[in-house]
Amino acid sequence: MSDDGLEQELRDAADLLDPVPARLVQMATTAYTWRTVDAELARLVFDSLDAATVRGPGPHQSRLFVFQAGALTVDVEVTADGPAGRRIVGRLTPAQAARIECRCGDQQQSTTADQLGRFACTVPPVGPFRLLCQPVESASPLVTEWVSA
Amino acid sequence: MTPSDDGMAVHVEDTDTLVTSAAGGDDRAWSALVERFSRLVWSVARAHGLADADAEEVFQTTWLRLTEHIGRLKEPQRLGAWLATTARNESLKIIRAGGRLTVTDDQHLLDRPSDLDSPERAALDAEDAATRTQRLRRVWSAFQQLPRRCQQLLRMLIATPPLSYTEIAAVMEIAVGSVGPTRARCLGQLRELLAEVEAHG
Repeated sequence: MSDDGLEQELRDAADLLDPVPARLVQMATTAYTWRTVDAELARLVFDSLDAATVRGPGPHQSRLFVFQAGALTVDVEVTADGPAGRRIVGRLTPAQAARIECRCGDQQQSTTADQLGRFACTVPPVGPFRLLCQPVESASPLVTEWVSA
Repeated sequence: MTPSDDGMAVHVEDTDTLVTSAAGGDDRAWSALVERFSRLVWSVARAHGLADADAEEVFQTTWLRLTEHIGRLKEPQRLGAWLATTARNESLKIIRAGGRLTVTDDQHLLDRPSDLDSPERAALDAEDAATRTQRLRRVWSAFQQLPRRCQQLLRMLIATPPLSYTEIAAVMEIAVGSVGPTRARCLGQLRELLAEVEAHG
């Protein structure tokens, strides 16, 4: 059998024995409804995972992310909080009050950042999440990139 | 083509047209992109040896990332490469984060219950397909005995829709000139392993 023929058999075998789970395709389709059209994208500019030079034993206990959109940065620490989920503690810089939405899959939690820009929320134990921030003193919201931790 | 044909036409659009439509709010265009590129994203996650839970996390993160980036892609026609690169980066992060890297020759991947329900499986069984199915199972079994590096490259090569050698080289961070020779070597090894499986199976 030719290389191309064998490669095609391998492709067929993967489709048969390791297909994309249907519920994942459904989830990716649904994800479109969660997009934020009007918000500015706060890009991930720091991930503690990238900064770690030595990996400790086992899973990391917490993860730090920094997102940036223009002059505004969002610092986020994610900590495992048992089966209840993951605890997210964040801070906006420059400090300012804001309405915050924490989304993970179809779960969404609303909270507020205080005058010092501090906020906290809880998301489910697994799955990518993102934050939507609507500063009180500004018309334009921002949304972080989706991250997995 | 009349305006009333819109609903049908979306399925045959070029990728860059679908990207533009989806960025503009057309959920049918988005669904078409998901349909077209899901297997590619899944292949990349599996190419990194991720087991079910981690591969699912990568798959989800990659598509969610796209929801926010779809209006910002510099080269919409190269969406496949963007998805592959994003999935690779997320795969590497998961590997680093948890040390949860699981080799793909886990027996459970050969015997996943969901396989029994897949449309492909049903269609194959309907025809004479016992023989065909058995052949593909042997091919898959041989594939999983390949060195990890070969499994990675072949997973990228069988991705649907296909990536170019240049894109594969970029995603895998290898020289583009090595893709062809490595493919030939890995397929050669696969052929030998398959012969052993056939002989003993």
